[in-house]
Amino acid sequence: MLTEEARRAVAQLKKADIVIGIPSYNNARTIGHVVRAAQAGLAKYFPQLSSVIINSDGGSRDGTQEAVLKASIEDPRLLLLNTPLLPVHKLSLPYHGIPGKGSAFRMIFAMARELGASACAVVDADLRSITPEWVDLLVRPVLHAGYDFVAPYYHRHKYDGTITNSIVYPLTRALYGLRVRQPIGGDFGIARRLFLRYLERNDWETDVARYGIDIWMTTIAIAEGYQVCQSFLGAKLHDAKDPAADLTAMLQQVVGSVFTLMREYEHVWRKVEGSRPVDLFGFRFDVGLDPVPVNLERMTKAFLTGYRELREIWSLALEKSNLEALAAVCRQAEQNPRGWRLPDDLWARIVMDFACAHRRMPVERTHLLRSLTPLYLGRVASFVMETETMISSEVEDRIEQLCLAFEAAKPYLLERWDSVGKSQTAPAQPAPVEVRT
Amino acid sequence: MIGTLSEILEQSLQRLATTAKTYVPPLLAALVIFVAAWLIATVVRAAFLRLTKTAWLDRFVVESGLSSLFGRNRPLETAPLVAGVIYWLILLVGLLTGLNAFNTALTTKMVEAVVFLLPKLAAAGLILLAGVWLAQYLARSALIWAVNENLPQPRRIAAAVRVLIVFVAVVVAADHLNFARTVFLGAFLLVVGGMVLAGSIALGLSAHEALKRRLAEPAHSGDGEEKSLWNHL
Repeated sequence: MLTEEARRAVAQLKKADIVIGIPSYNNARTIGHVVRAAQAGLAKYFPQLSSVIINSDGGSRDGTQEAVLKASIEDPRLLLLNTPLLPVHKLSLPYHGIPGKGSAFRMIFAMARELGASACAVVDADLRSITPEWVDLLVRPVLHAGYDFVAPYYHRHKYDGTITNSIVYPLTRALYGLRVRQPIGGDFGIARRLFLRYLERNDWETDVARYGIDIWMTTIAIAEGYQVCQSFLGAKLHDAKDPAADLTAMLQQVVGSVFTLMREYEHVWRKVEGSRPVDLFGFRFDVGLDPVPVNLERMTKAFLTGYRELREIWSLALEKSNLEALAAVCRQAEQNPRGWRLPDDLWARIVMDFACAHRRMPVERTHLLRSLTPLYLGRVASFVMETETMISSEVEDRIEQLCLAFEAAKPYLLERWDSVGKSQTAPAQPAPVEVRT
Repeated sequence: MIGTLSEILEQSLQRLATTAKTYVPPLLAALVIFVAAWLIATVVRAAFLRLTKTAWLDRFVVESGLSSLFGRNRPLETAPLVAGVIYWLILLVGLLTGLNAFNTALTTKMVEAVVFLLPKLAAAGLILLAGVWLAQYLARSALIWAVNENLPQPRRIAAAVRVLIVFVAVVVAADHLNFARTVFLGAFLLVVGGMVLAGSIALGLSAHEALKRRLAEPAHSGDGEEKSLWNHL
């Protein structure tokens, strides 16, 4: 799992109490800031603990690794430290295996295990809003409050994070009953026993190796009964995603991971009713956010094209009544491109239909997930139109309504799940899972 | 005159009697065998439908995507299909056994031909089925890709993929059966060659400017609108 270079680094460092991991790919523009913030955070909040910052790079060609090694705090006196300060080591190492964020995390966790770290935090390399406090907020609940998993809680622009808002958060919350607001936020604090659990699993070579990693980590933490909390980190401002990346592939990897984990943790989520809040650390404050431009016309067009061309594939997954309701929505969108809506309850049932079909038709899984893109864009377009004039607190209320629609649709999910799975065998499980409560 | 006529009649009756002696018993035997085969086939089909559980096969057909080859909106019941196949196989065996009862050169040749051809036909059928399944799978992949990439005429792209794969399957099946081998291979080479040529000409005529621009400006790989889509994650 560890490269020769990584082994040498571990042998040299021997021990670290805290590991901060930064996965990267062509992030030269922002990674220097992220490394400096992490360094300052470790020096300011955990000066007596040994720590290391590991950049796990996926073969950047824009000087990302050089930017990491060059990054240092301009004026350490500004930290006003009066306690003995242990040096913060920085490592920038390439990882091996399937290219992707998950593979980068795997190497970070493996190094944290070898170094005997008690806590590990991972932060995205494209962050522009990270501050030293993030390190404290992600690590302290693990070291001093006994939590195993610290999920981020940010203020984001109302049109930022729409996969989270429209699918992953409502579905995860309805399934597992915990209101983790940013389950795929990308910045997490993890206790030793949890990252050891991640490392012992054998599904790293799947979508987990790529964008599926965030929801995979969050779901395992929740479903296996680890202590989960959230930390308020302020605003999440980040560079635009790599334009070469494929939205469909991202959606497929994230949603595919949610659906795959649904099969594994069926015994957990089928007993859950409703949802409960999760402990939140940090002082909440309002912040200014970068606007996120969206192209409503293009999303609506993609949705209608999807309906015209992919209806046959959608019909493999969707219940007849849902397909008919969707047809009515499309007619509405064609007649009134600025005034149509994809209702919450219909959207919840659509997502659940796809989850059931994902279980029922293994060969068609890729098709089903990839055909979800126009539907997702339709839902985003509907959400954008509905929230155009809303302020962020109103939008949050609107997302809450969607979550409640997902929770209300759970009996529907169970009914559909059971009807397609009566004669099916459970998928092969990598290891027996003990559920802690 | 009358003597000649009676002689001819006698000979004719003798021939008829000989023919009847030669062919009626085997014909009756063949009929009995065929009726017995029909009875066995009917009983086996009914027993199969009543006693055998094919839930695993139904599941396989759904999971493998084969069901959508036969009918999209309702799940395919495999029990009647398998029972039908068994029924017709028993009938065929009965027919061949019945034909064998004649023990003539012609019937022996017919039986040999069928026995020799049957595995080949089954293999060719499987090749075609696999080809149609693959064609549907790849056509769907092409359709979804074309829709998500916002390409014009996504259905035509999918149809082209489907036709090409089915055509390849037909060529392979025909080759396996040794049936019009040169015709199918020739047609296949013509189609593939034509496609490559057409693609090359199209690329040369219409896309070289775009390619040149693309190669010259590798950094400009997305506009503002494009980037806005990626911010949603």
